[in-house]
Amino acid sequence: MTGTETLTASLEDYLEAIFHIVAEKHAVKPRDIARRLKVSYASVTGALRSLSEKKLINYSPYDLITLTEEGEVAAKDVVRRHEILHDFFVEVLAVPEADADVAACRMEHSIPRDIVERFVRFVEFVETCPRGGQKWIKGFGYQCDHTNTWENCEKCIASCLDEVKVRAKEGGAKAMALSRLKDLRPGQRCKIVKVRGRSEAGRRIVEMGVTPGSVVEVERIAPLGDPIDVKVKGYHLSLRKAEAEGIDVEII
Amino acid sequence: MGSRIVVALAGNPNSGKTTIFNNLTGAKQHVGNYPGVTVERKEGYSRYDGHEIMFVDLPGTYSLTAYSAEELVARNFIVDEKPDVVVDIIDSSNLERNLYLAVQLMETGVPLVLAFNMSDEARARGYEFDLEKFSRFFNAAVVRTVGHKGEGMEELMMQIVAVSLQKRDPGETPSVNYGEELEEEIGKIMPFLKGDPLVAEKYGARWLAVKLLENDRDVLEKVSSDAVRAQLAKSSSHIEGILGENPETIIASSRYGYISGACQEAVHSTVEVLHTISDKIDTVITNRVLGIPIFLGLMYLVFYLTFTLGDPPMGWIEGLFGWLGSSIGALWPEGSESLLRSLIVDGIIGGVGGVIVFLPNILLLFFAIAILEDSGYMARAAFIMDRLMHKIGLHGKSFIPMLIGFGCSVPAIMATRMLENRRDRLVTMLVVPLMSCGARLPIYALIIPAFFPQAWNAPMLWIIYVIGVLLAVISAKILRGTIFKGESVPFVMELTPYRLPTLRGVLTHMWQRGWLYLKKAGTIILGISIVLWALTTFPGLPEDKAERFEKEKQAVEATVTDEEMKKEKITSIENAMTEASLKGSIAGRIGHALEPVLKPMGFDWKIGTALIGAFAAKEVFVAQLGIVYSVGKEASEESSELRDQLRANYTPLVAFCIMLFCLVSAPCMATIAVTRRESNSWKWALFQLAGLTVMAWILTVVVFQAGRLLGIGI
Repeated sequence: MTGTETLTASLEDYLEAIFHIVAEKHAVKPRDIARRLKVSYASVTGALRSLSEKKLINYSPYDLITLTEEGEVAAKDVVRRHEILHDFFVEVLAVPEADADVAACRMEHSIPRDIVERFVRFVEFVETCPRGGQKWIKGFGYQCDHTNTWENCEKCIASCLDEVKVRAKEGGAKAMALSRLKDLRPGQRCKIVKVRGRSEAGRRIVEMGVTPGSVVEVERIAPLGDPIDVKVKGYHLSLRKAEAEGIDVEII
Repeated sequence: MGSRIVVALAGNPNSGKTTIFNNLTGAKQHVGNYPGVTVERKEGYSRYDGHEIMFVDLPGTYSLTAYSAEELVARNFIVDEKPDVVVDIIDSSNLERNLYLAVQLMETGVPLVLAFNMSDEARARGYEFDLEKFSRFFNAAVVRTVGHKGEGMEELMMQIVAVSLQKRDPGETPSVNYGEELEEEIGKIMPFLKGDPLVAEKYGARWLAVKLLENDRDVLEKVSSDAVRAQLAKSSSHIEGILGENPETIIASSRYGYISGACQEAVHSTVEVLHTISDKIDTVITNRVLGIPIFLGLMYLVFYLTFTLGDPPMGWIEGLFGWLGSSIGALWPEGSESLLRSLIVDGIIGGVGGVIVFLPNILLLFFAIAILEDSGYMARAAFIMDRLMHKIGLHGKSFIPMLIGFGCSVPAIMATRMLENRRDRLVTMLVVPLMSCGARLPIYALIIPAFFPQAWNAPMLWIIYVIGVLLAVISAKILRGTIFKGESVPFVMELTPYRLPTLRGVLTHMWQRGWLYLKKAGTIILGISIVLWALTTFPGLPEDKAERFEKEKQAVEATVTDEEMKKEKITSIENAMTEASLKGSIAGRIGHALEPVLKPMGFDWKIGTALIGAFAAKEVFVAQLGIVYSVGKEASEESSELRDQLRANYTPLVAFCIMLFCLVSAPCMATIAVTRRESNSWKWALFQLAGLTVMAWILTVVVFQAGRLLGIGI
């Protein structure tokens, strides 16, 4: 997180906005950011320039705005903090949705970083710990209504443990959606994380422009269900699912 | 008087390289093969400003890593033969991917000219290029061209000459920065390479070090020193350890990073095009529901064009050669059995006719294929069929040659050219004759109605075709699992945007293929047909026998008065004479000698002799059978007389075995000749001949013996 240490709250907001727009519309334009954050076009340009200087985004007149690898990490970090705070406010403290959002937005920047980190970890812990979690909170409510229900605890713990396993598999934070290229549906976009193996196919794939960090969109699947057609660097590339198997991606 | 300049044309497939090559060289081309591989080598000549320029059209490649034969050929030409100038033809509407090759070329340090081709298309997509900046980034001259309109050719020539005359400092090869970690390892490997002066001088130590880290097999073989290998292994695992990626991925990423940086500086996008027309076409053409029907419809069109439209010209050619034969034959007095006449009429004219008769099919097929390829549909066809073909270990593109095989194996084998991989090509080539071709149909048409009840006629024919397809599938699988073992070729293939093919491009392609066929395969076919002529002619009837036939004829002439009866009798004597002559010929003797081999299949020497004749062309089997059964030379598949004879001599089981054997066994000589030409070796042609014949023999023996034991069809 070294690069993000120096980010101001407002720059973090910009980063967060870009991340969300990429997820929704695939293409980021300055005016979308301005609309989302309710700021002027000029301040967007300024912020973009300074983000670009910090090497968090790729910003140039030629291309659409994209997050760099570092930027992606930083943005995800902000988003993750925001989501966890927001969820805590809504689900644990029962704060109304809109208020929770505003509060989370402020808190994610203003609390000193190490305290946020600790808080986030606490919330994550509460959410997933078999002895805590949402069921723990609900269990508290259940306890309030019915007395003497301790005999249900064993079952409850077992189901909580299952959930922990599922979450661990999913990779924790919601923003991270790791997947394999072959599992994507037509129309889905992803960023290449890793091309595994030293096979001929793997190397070809990389040489054809499917390099780690590049953005790929699945265009279609062949009528018989096998080769897939993806768009990368502005052109169409077809590859078999067996070849796309070894490509780890992050759905965006 | 200027000097001779050697120019290599490099570029991605579908970048318009061939069009530019044709533009630059006109008709002065020479097509050959690179030694030892099936890759075609095209050379062309031109003059500019007093300089003689030789162009070598390198195979289209995406990269210079030596994975495929094409890439190896392209790279070795550039690195080993050191052309004076390399021109990289770039599809500028798809810049980033195309520049990957340019970066690699730049790294070899050759004098480089970049031709930003299809610049009209790029402009339509809203790209503006700063050529001067590109020139600096890639240390190359940059020219804007539009190949199919011939724009920019003059400037390209000018730059080629200018670059060739430039003095270059060999130490100043620009290079991509591969990042701190990798550069450090490159630095560690280089000193080891400098110890090998031969290698380092020729290639440059840095280039070699990068190639080694890229895990390039060819370079690895060239550098034999153990010290280098040890350092390389250490470096690779070190990089993988700290960066989490293998070196070749990092190298490719860095090159793309370099390109991306160059594009950010030198490309301006004026309009934003999200979905091109090509994308829209694809939503229909490769649609989940419509994709396959459209594909089948187009394949039917190709088939129709090749064989239905090709049929009348074939008839004309046959007619022409028939007329030529008979008019030249008429120069000899009637009834004279001159050997020279027979050689000229039956051997040479028949042979040349046998070569040219395929030409309409080949021209039309390549006309259709050129349209499919140039328009971009071929890649889609492979995309659609790949799942099916991959199951038998082949590439999606193999489908088309196999389909053409139902018409004729000769153009089908030539169509395997569109398969880039040698393994796929050879397997497809070897199994194509199992797709029952049109020339085998007369054999089935003769036999099926003679032996099987009416209701069984169609299913029987269907069974024969299905057996062929199944055998092709099984053979392909077996070949891929044994002789052509290995990782299947990755299907990592570009789906090029749809483009309107130009008539000139299509016609050039068609002409080149047709010419190649006449020149290379034609000579072999002619040779074999003369040999076959000799086999069925020599040694001819012994004098006493010939005299006896003559006497019989004279007797008939003298005694029989009724004209009709006389004609009939004479015909039957003549038929008996040709039968005797064939029986006594080398082919007849071979037929006899082969009887022990033929017996287990239920065949006699007559079938054996007819099979030898069928090697000339499958349909000849019918005529040969007509001769051995004294029905006459002109027996066709409709001849009821011949059918009666067959019924009298063979059981339905044998009849089925004949069809089976004709389906599977040795394809005709034209097929063998084309396989020889296309595989560039007699080895594969003979392997095909022997393999198919042995397979046919085993299958037929099994079927015949099993049928006899079970009492089916006897």
